[in-house]
Amino acid sequence: MPPGRLPANASIDDLKRAAVDEIDRHADEIVRVSQRILAAPETGFREAKTARLVAATFTRLGIPYREGIAVTGVIGRIGASNAAVNVAVMGELDSLIVAAHPNADPDTSAAHACGHHCQIGSMLGVAYGLSLSGVADHLGGAVTFMAVPAEEYIELEWRSNLRDSGKIEFLGGKPELVRLGELDHVQIAMLTHTSSDYEGFSVGNTSNGMVGKVVRFHGTAAHAGGRPHLGINALNAAHVALASIHAQRDTYRDQDTVRIHPIITKGGTVVNAVPDDVRIETYVRGASVPAIVDASGKVDRALRAGALAVGGSVSIKTLPGYLPMRQHPGLTEMFAANAKKLVEPEKVVKGGHNGGSTDMGDISHVVATIHPLVGGAAGVAHTEHYLITDYSLAVTRAAKAMAMTVVDLLSGGAAGAQRVLGGYRPAMTKADYLGLMRGMLSDRTYTE
Amino acid sequence: MNANNHAGLKGAAFRAIDHARQDIIGVAQAVLATPEVGFEEEKTSAFVASKLESLGLAVRRRLAITGLKAVRRFAAASPTVAVIGELDSVRVPGHPGANPETGAAHACGHHAQLGILFGAAVGLSIPELSGPLAGSVAFVATPAEEFIDVARRLARRDAGELQFLSGKQEMVRLGAFDDVDMAMLVHTSSEEPAGRFIVGGTSNGHIVQSVRYTGRAAHAGGAPHDGVNALQAMSVAMTAINTQRETFEEKDVTRVHGIVTKGGTSVNSVPAEAVYEGRVRGRDMAAVDKVAARVERCFKAGALAIGCDLEITTVPGYMPLRNNPRLDELFAANARSIAGPNSVVTQPYDETRGGSTDMGDLSHLLPVIHPYVTAARGSAHGADYLIADYDLAVIQSAKVVVATVIDLLADGARAAIEVKQGVAPAMTRTEYLRTQSERNRVVRYRGI
Repeated sequence: MPPGRLPANASIDDLKRAAVDEIDRHADEIVRVSQRILAAPETGFREAKTARLVAATFTRLGIPYREGIAVTGVIGRIGASNAAVNVAVMGELDSLIVAAHPNADPDTSAAHACGHHCQIGSMLGVAYGLSLSGVADHLGGAVTFMAVPAEEYIELEWRSNLRDSGKIEFLGGKPELVRLGELDHVQIAMLTHTSSDYEGFSVGNTSNGMVGKVVRFHGTAAHAGGRPHLGINALNAAHVALASIHAQRDTYRDQDTVRIHPIITKGGTVVNAVPDDVRIETYVRGASVPAIVDASGKVDRALRAGALAVGGSVSIKTLPGYLPMRQHPGLTEMFAANAKKLVEPEKVVKGGHNGGSTDMGDISHVVATIHPLVGGAAGVAHTEHYLITDYSLAVTRAAKAMAMTVVDLLSGGAAGAQRVLGGYRPAMTKADYLGLMRGMLSDRTYTE
Repeated sequence: MNANNHAGLKGAAFRAIDHARQDIIGVAQAVLATPEVGFEEEKTSAFVASKLESLGLAVRRRLAITGLKAVRRFAAASPTVAVIGELDSVRVPGHPGANPETGAAHACGHHAQLGILFGAAVGLSIPELSGPLAGSVAFVATPAEEFIDVARRLARRDAGELQFLSGKQEMVRLGAFDDVDMAMLVHTSSEEPAGRFIVGGTSNGHIVQSVRYTGRAAHAGGAPHDGVNALQAMSVAMTAINTQRETFEEKDVTRVHGIVTKGGTSVNSVPAEAVYEGRVRGRDMAAVDKVAARVERCFKAGALAIGCDLEITTVPGYMPLRNNPRLDELFAANARSIAGPNSVVTQPYDETRGGSTDMGDLSHLLPVIHPYVTAARGSAHGADYLIADYDLAVIQSAKVVVATVIDLLADGARAAIEVKQGVAPAMTRTEYLRTQSERNRVVRYRGI
């Protein structure tokens, strides 16, 4: 169907076909956006170039947008700001840091080893499909396109400083959007993430929540050869703390899928001085908030034990991270039905539980959310081997599936949205959510 | 001192020893065949008592449970020189002489000491000495020099059978050394070169820690999350203690070593109880106390890491040995005379041998020597520690002891009085008992 020629009584299928055709017409352009982002990776809250690229695309599509939301976020919208139903289509701006990745930035080692560049492509693909085709004019609600900063929960110390300077409160982009009220008038959110585990789509998966910890062991420096007995070795404190963390792994229930995976970001200063400043970053992940809180308490005890063992002290800053993922079943079904029109139906599968975490989990606690996975990637995520091998699937068909789902939701006066959300109440209000997140924050120094 | 002094008296005594040679070595070998651990040396004690009684000596039995004392009085009652032998064995199940049920084995050569004790009694019981010697010689067999089986001994302490956990400490408390003016004990050694007597040197002081972690049992497969693993607390503590080793100063000759005597009950239950007994040794008690505080901290760290309860029972161990140089000179002169001019090695008096002995305690109260005779082979407290040369270990040692006693008590006990007046004891018995008793303490800690 040629663009701009949709009859007033166009059916849902007509609208979907128009959106899909429009995406196909611009497929190369959409994929090129993803590939340009791949070539210029930026980590969270630093995605300036990536944000400019998103803004330029909105401009090209004639979509009004705001920039600098949660430092680097870009948000465009089609439809009225006071629409009764507002669907957010999201993509994540940020990269990881994987120095060995073939597309890593040689200076910063930033690299898109998690496929977020495809998300920006698929999010913008939806914008292409709905705006240029004229489908938007037939929708009974608004669609908000959110290019969200900082999904990867990394560079904790740097972000913690950003937090201290008042630029952010939470360390992830989506919790920031919630705090800033960007989800206040949104009822439904979706984001399609790439995966190397599936040939088509995976829907309905769950994921762990987490808290972050920034830990510093304080010791006393001394000449490591001449006067080791006068030192208090902060690295040994960390060593005992890590051993203590590991010693408790048998206390976690299988269903809680607890993950604790620290890194040492500073392990001393010079080899011939007893280390007096040793730093650790870690996540504590789990499938539920109580599981995270329980494990976090055990980790704190282990860290304190390390300091106690050597007679030093430890500062533990616990930062609220992400909540576990809870996908909306009706929305999931709706997305799956559309996905089955884009790939062989048996290649749309029900996902399981993912030990990783995403701040879409947070979104999923305050609005009806889906976070489907799309194939097209190869290699283990977060490593140098993670590469997109099929942009048509990872970007173009992901965009189509989301665009079709938006049509299902908002066409006919948003009847689909009303049907699928009938009686649905989010797990938390924004106030409850912010209260929970703020309650997880602590910053204490322990000298036992 | 000229070792040819009193040659006639010594010659008579040596002839008696040579005459009883098989019987004397037989005592050592009989004890070797029936090893018993400290405070349980019932057979050994009865046997040694009967052997001493066979010489016409009146034996006081059951001093500190299994200890013995027999006094031969010469022309006057005092001064009294004690010759000491230790009744107890260690536990080394792989030792060829080990008791198959208890693992008890004479892997420290105490059986040879009892041969020396009997040999000295043979030599010093001859009627020719009655007139020429003034004062007395006390033949003392002491229980429990090896500071082992701490939990068992603590239970006996709780039952009121003991107050101190070593034989000489208990015998001091009971007054068995009140009438003794000086003492000597010859210990075997496997050091090179063989065939020597080593005088001088010192030993480490120590304290003993009995540590109990209490967690919570749970099915180790079905519900490990319901358990609190006391063995993991122990594991963390061991790691923590090991990290402290770099803070030990070589001059302190620090030794921290222990064994886990209970590490759970059944493998399919989360260990609810873990028990350790160990020692902190050092050149002096200040060095011991300094390190003991660190070790205690590490045990607390184990409890804190895992969230279990901890009880540390600290028991007074041994004091560093103070060999009396004047007594050593007498002993060395007789050793040269008996075993040859090159048979004596003098160790610097501040050179610490690493181990500990309750002769150290006695040496704080009266002039003491604790020479070694290198007549053994293998590793002390190892499965291969055997007496290689019974003639040297027992017969020649007994002769050196007898000759030294004769030198001390001849001529109106002039040399003994000179030794006694030459150096003031480090402590009175009252001070000693108070100092050691004050080392008793129990620390309880809850890891939360």
